[in-house]
Amino acid sequence: MATERIDHKWGMVIDVDRCTGCQACVVACQAENNVPMNTPDRFLERRAYEWIRIERYWEGEFPKVKARFIPILCQHCGNAPCEPVCPVYATYHNDQGLNVQVYNRCVGTRYCINNCPYQVRFFNWWEPQWPNTLQNQLNPDVTVRSRGIMEKCTFCIQRLRRAELALERQEGGRINDQNLAERNLAPACVAACPTSALMFGDQNDPNSKIRPYFEDANTHSERERKTRGYRLLEEMGTGANVIYLKKVEQYPLKQGESHG
Amino acid sequence: MKLGRNMVPLALVGLGTSLILLVVVVVVGIAWYSNPPFGLGDAPPQPIAFPHTVHAGAPEQGGQGIQCEFCHRNVTKGAAATVPAVEQCLFCHQQVTGTTETARVEIAKVKASFENNTPIQWERVHRVPDHVRFVHEAHIRFFTEGETPETQLPVSQVCSVCHGDVAGMTVVAPKPGQSLKMGTCLDCHRQNNIPTDCTVCHQ
Repeated sequence: MATERIDHKWGMVIDVDRCTGCQACVVACQAENNVPMNTPDRFLERRAYEWIRIERYWEGEFPKVKARFIPILCQHCGNAPCEPVCPVYATYHNDQGLNVQVYNRCVGTRYCINNCPYQVRFFNWWEPQWPNTLQNQLNPDVTVRSRGIMEKCTFCIQRLRRAELALERQEGGRINDQNLAERNLAPACVAACPTSALMFGDQNDPNSKIRPYFEDANTHSERERKTRGYRLLEEMGTGANVIYLKKVEQYPLKQGESHG
Repeated sequence: MKLGRNMVPLALVGLGTSLILLVVVVVVGIAWYSNPPFGLGDAPPQPIAFPHTVHAGAPEQGGQGIQCEFCHRNVTKGAAATVPAVEQCLFCHQQVTGTTETARVEIAKVKASFENNTPIQWERVHRVPDHVRFVHEAHIRFFTEGETPETQLPVSQVCSVCHGDVAGMTVVAPKPGQSLKMGTCLDCHRQNNIPTDCTVCHQ
């Protein structure tokens, strides 16, 4: 029986060219991770909880206007700015390349939220509430975060744990792209994406789909890359474990048509 | 000297402070050493007197010797051990109606519950906090399917590591001296060379 832990390093590749801005990932994440409901006034207060969000940008002037979408989630930085500022080690880096938030350690100083350049951490200002019709929808595998603690994307750690238990401990195999997809154990946003814009896998697995992008991004500077990969705020040196693939511009706006 | 007059309120303040401190120390002490807080060793009253001695107890001692996992069916399959459905009680209790007066009364309650479609509201005895994810299946598998003799135990022995000798209890109570706190989990994980990363249990 396999008890030893296989050395994984999780990573995600997001193809911006494929993203249609449909927000299926946002809804899937909200449902999977017991994220409280957002109301319009929460958005106006800038206190909405979205572990993954679609940022929308407009390019050009009407009528020649283009909508740009980019999904943004916790980048699980290898050199995370949120980690050294936590006074109680509630956020740390684990051996699988994940940036982990330990809810029961968190005391709610909010230093991490201030130090995160991606704005993907959320503080619980209120006790989370759901309407009665959604009480039975809550995921029993995920902690409901109480008032006064920080929360963020976990790369659906509960699904990865389930995958480890089922595929590695019980069946003695190894997690790969194929069985993650077959058993529906990839993170909820990845499983929900209708255009497969989000790809998830193990950077240490030589056969994984995401590995070439990470190899390229880790060995070449931004100008010398062979793939379309880039990291958000790469110049800050956060070493993100999420790589974005550039938009392929088939019909670029001509000079003077765009804001630039 | 005016000191004497000031001594009385000063002593009162000192007495009051030490009283408050004493209360704080006692409360924190009880909370720290009890598990769950303020309920160490409590056997909650159950809606139906279910003697584990009769069901799971050894045949030599008058029990039926039913294995733990026969009723708590999910224990070798998933995270929760699960309490069986009333229907499952009726597998036997359709026929077995009891030999003593108390047994007849209690078994009649089970039958009534089945016929009225009302589940039995069992009281939970062992509880870990909501931010802890404990998977029974993984623990049972580790101690039953290992390579060394210590990890090839029968299921019922694995259960009693944390739950005590439930087969010998008429009313289920927590195992005396057994803590379900994080330190206990970590001790066992370290002894058996199991990962102690936070995300193993906290998700």
